[in-house]
Amino acid sequence: MAIKKDSFVGTMIFTVTLCLLCSFMITGTAEILKERKLVKKRDELMRNVLIAADVDLNGQDFRALFKKDVKPLLVSLDSGDVDTSAANVMDFDPRMASINPETSIKLEKKQDKAKIKTRANQVRVFKVFDDKGELTSVVLPIYGKGLWSMVYGFVALKPDLNTIENVVFYEHGETPGIGDFLNDTEWTKQWHNKQIFDEKGKVSFKVVKGGAKEGDVHGIDAVSGATMTGRGVQRSIQFWFGSDGFEAFFKKLKASEV
Amino acid sequence: MSTQTISTREMLTGPIFANNPVAMQVLGVCSALAVSNSMQTALVMTLAVTFVLVFSNLIISSIRSLIPNSVRIIAQMTVIASLVIVVDMVLQDVAYELSRQLSVFVGLIITNCIIMGRAEAFAMKNPPHLAVVDAVGNAMGYGVILLGVAFVRELLGSGTLFGHEILQTVENGGWYLANEMFKLPPSAFFLIGLMIWSINVIQRKRG
Repeated sequence: MAIKKDSFVGTMIFTVTLCLLCSFMITGTAEILKERKLVKKRDELMRNVLIAADVDLNGQDFRALFKKDVKPLLVSLDSGDVDTSAANVMDFDPRMASINPETSIKLEKKQDKAKIKTRANQVRVFKVFDDKGELTSVVLPIYGKGLWSMVYGFVALKPDLNTIENVVFYEHGETPGIGDFLNDTEWTKQWHNKQIFDEKGKVSFKVVKGGAKEGDVHGIDAVSGATMTGRGVQRSIQFWFGSDGFEAFFKKLKASEV
Repeated sequence: MSTQTISTREMLTGPIFANNPVAMQVLGVCSALAVSNSMQTALVMTLAVTFVLVFSNLIISSIRSLIPNSVRIIAQMTVIASLVIVVDMVLQDVAYELSRQLSVFVGLIITNCIIMGRAEAFAMKNPPHLAVVDAVGNAMGYGVILLGVAFVRELLGSGTLFGHEILQTVENGGWYLANEMFKLPPSAFFLIGLMIWSINVIQRKRG
């Protein structure tokens, strides 16, 4: 061998080659799995929407159910209008939309209750219908910062656009063990039939430290040790159901324009 | 040639019992404690470790004459880490729920001393086919302990094996009062301790 393996050049050549080969191995695997991952992601989305809408999935084909009962809509938040020009709403990528400067707005610090920095101009909401074609719930995407991470979820409202049907948090990176209550159905069960707005139309939904009082229609229990996560959830709700969130859409929806 | 075949067989069977990496060298205990509360996770973990161990030994052994001495540990780590990432990605694809249960412990295979130890102690000095045999042997040794502990923990902790009910628990209207301690990591300490003890006793009797 012309270059000794233990020389400086030999070591450099070896490390660079090894790193390249290893990275090819990883990217190769990722590439092979990419297609399947997309399908999985889509399945996950459908399932989460159905769970949020409190549809019984037991023994049902959720793909067929989703196709039959759920209508995805692309909504422009500022005007509240539904964008009908989009070819396939299911292909919409909310995360890309929220970071792309062309499709999002920067939030002022005062507006930014959910601490998300930028907000997409359009979001994807889902209308869920029953067998008779009656609207049973509207599933709305929310997200906001907890303690460490963005907490992503869906809130489903009943047709009165105030009462919560169910809620799902499908992604978060909160403290393992402590933030896990977000996925706990015992905790999300409390959200049932709670109301987002008070009589004056103000967002009054609260995560109450020490436990919500009996009969409190706006409050749910906070979890000890997870104050910041709970506060993040509350602020996300305040933001998304406020004037920078779904307000315009709700107005149009109530006037049944969309 | 005859000594070669004997040593190859010993290489395969030795680590399963007599020179078990977990029990005798007390390596890789961290993951053995964490994922041994059910048979299913233990089995998947064993498979993941087997895959990483076999391929890391194979690759490192094949390139052992090319690895510069000064970066050999880092080179081994790079190979192991890449393999672990591949395993993690595949696992998330084929068994998403399970990979969530195993959470960080798949990633932590990187730091599993058995793999690092075999790469440094064996694969660096031996040809690839022997390295693979050694890897399979050690992986089985790891698996035996992991599955053994998981067997006891799942059976006594939940009354099930691979999720199938064996002992009907009181909660399900049966007679068996599940011992919650076996669901928690400390129980694995006791069980592995007992295993180390018993293997030592048997070894000593054999001389």
